[in-house]
Amino acid sequence: MGKKELKVSLFLAWRSLKRGSRSSALLTILIIGMCFTNMIFLPALFSGIGQGITKQIVDYEIGNVLVSPQSGNQYVTDLDATLDLINGMPGVERATPHFSKGATLKYRQRILGASIRAIRPTDEKYISPLYSKIIAGSYLGEGDTGEIIIGKTVAGDSSVREEDEFQASLGGVRVGDSVTIEYGNGFTRDYRVKGIYETGWNSADSTGYVTWTDMEQVEGKTLDKADYITVKVKPGYSEKFVKDMLQSYGVSPRVQTTADLLSKGMGRVLQSFAIINMVSLIVSIIITTIVLFIVITIKTINSRKQIGIMKAIGVDKEVIMHNYGFQVIILAVFGILLGAAITSILAVYMTYNPIVTPEWSATLYLTPMDLLMNSLILFAAAIVAGYVPAYQVSREDIQTAMRA
Amino acid sequence: MIRTTDLRKVYQMGDVQVKALDGIDLTIDKGEFVGIMGPSGSGKSTLLHMLGLLDQPTDGQIWLDGVAVNKLTDYEKTMFRLYKLGYVFQDYALVPELTVSENVSLPAMLRLDRNEEEIARSTTEILERIGIADRCCHLQKELSGGQQQRVAIARAIVNKPDILFADEPCANLDTENSRMVLGLFREINDEMNQTIVMVSHEEWHKEYFHRIIKLRDGKIIDYGK
Repeated sequence: MGKKELKVSLFLAWRSLKRGSRSSALLTILIIGMCFTNMIFLPALFSGIGQGITKQIVDYEIGNVLVSPQSGNQYVTDLDATLDLINGMPGVERATPHFSKGATLKYRQRILGASIRAIRPTDEKYISPLYSKIIAGSYLGEGDTGEIIIGKTVAGDSSVREEDEFQASLGGVRVGDSVTIEYGNGFTRDYRVKGIYETGWNSADSTGYVTWTDMEQVEGKTLDKADYITVKVKPGYSEKFVKDMLQSYGVSPRVQTTADLLSKGMGRVLQSFAIINMVSLIVSIIITTIVLFIVITIKTINSRKQIGIMKAIGVDKEVIMHNYGFQVIILAVFGILLGAAITSILAVYMTYNPIVTPEWSATLYLTPMDLLMNSLILFAAAIVAGYVPAYQVSREDIQTAMRA
Repeated sequence: MIRTTDLRKVYQMGDVQVKALDGIDLTIDKGEFVGIMGPSGSGKSTLLHMLGLLDQPTDGQIWLDGVAVNKLTDYEKTMFRLYKLGYVFQDYALVPELTVSENVSLPAMLRLDRNEEEIARSTTEILERIGIADRCCHLQKELSGGQQQRVAIARAIVNKPDILFADEPCANLDTENSRMVLGLFREINDEMNQTIVMVSHEEWHKEYFHRIIKLRDGKIIDYGK
């Protein structure tokens, strides 16, 4: 097969698409585009969910690196010295402690069990975007006592009846309202609601935050211990580097990066997503291959007489086969471009309008590599689906083809 | 130019064997305009397809320009058709997505001994010769039946073939267009000394042929000389 023959094949293919049935060509491009979208949408959505969950865990739970109590201990002790040590290490942006206590919240006739988390508001700003998620009122100040910020889920909605609530709440608390909190140790205090936040992360939205100073009053002593310390890593440093530094300084033997923690709990979820993605991809490829096979088979069957005539006037069967092959390649390229455009538009749209559920919010997580890999897979499937019928019909003898 | 010996073609129709050609021996010289005539089912088109390498005989030999063509491979036959033979079919057989000039150029485009300049020149010359140069950029659907057949003739002779085969080229044309096509064949035959073998069943076409080979039941009943 020489250059000249390939050139003629391409010439015939392009003319056939340009001057043949436009609706047939557009329909085929649309089918390929939809197949591409189908191939990429579900995996990208799952990746988006995974990325969203990971980000929320990092933002509202563990930071980049989590320092947990030593084995057998309930708390990280000698807190101030430990924080000074961690904050002085290379690669550490800021370390901040969390201390949670179970409590019962009372507002009018509503009673709700929730966890109250003590934070150091200024330091927390380095770790978590919680301060930017306030939807009413304001964030906590460093020395605030008797004031609390609560999640939207805890605050509730006064227009929703208690029995209709998806998740129990205080039934419509507003900023400035007074909420009575009874801690597990029996300490009870009336708090003024300073702010209401909405993070989209259910665990955070079902919590209340008070200052470290306030919690010291609850505990009745200086709080030199924490449930754990979250550490934010400076840009340019890896979580692994900071983990190794913390361990080498003997901060705690239980230091875990986000990746360590996700590989356990979230790892299984992400692994399940990966399996579903693979199944979805295989099904999409099979559907695409069959659809293209049918389209090209119909096209070649309808052109059998013409194929016979072309062979009769001296057009080699390889030229005829590549003619249809090139048609599929051109259709596949346009179909893939259409599919990439659709998925990119969807990705941009969902960035601004994510799918939000009580547990997570999802965007389409697409990387150039995802687009490239799926394009190559679909392209390969299209070539197989196009060349098989083209090969078969190009080998038919002239008389049989011409009588078709 | 064309010679066959004991050419046979047998079709198997279920349990019945149909002898489409039954021992054809013929010779056609260079520059002859030969008509193959006979009633329906006499084997006219089958003979033309055998001579034109469009079908494989069951038995017998065919020599075209001294080459024993039934010994050629499939690819060699394709190249033989491309370089040595030209065809005109009764239903024009143009590629609908190509313009007139593209249809005419197509066989020339595949020849290794033609460059783009030569292809363009020979296409223009032929279109002018058959009087359809003004329709060169039109598609098949924009042409009348007579115009389409003229394009098919142009395509058949663009490579200056040794033999031109025509399978009932006037079957779909009215008398006026049929006379035009037959006149064109005669002109090509006279001016280019082009060997033409044409199948026809119209008695009035006889006046255009140098010689008529008559077939009946797969056998030659009149050799014309």
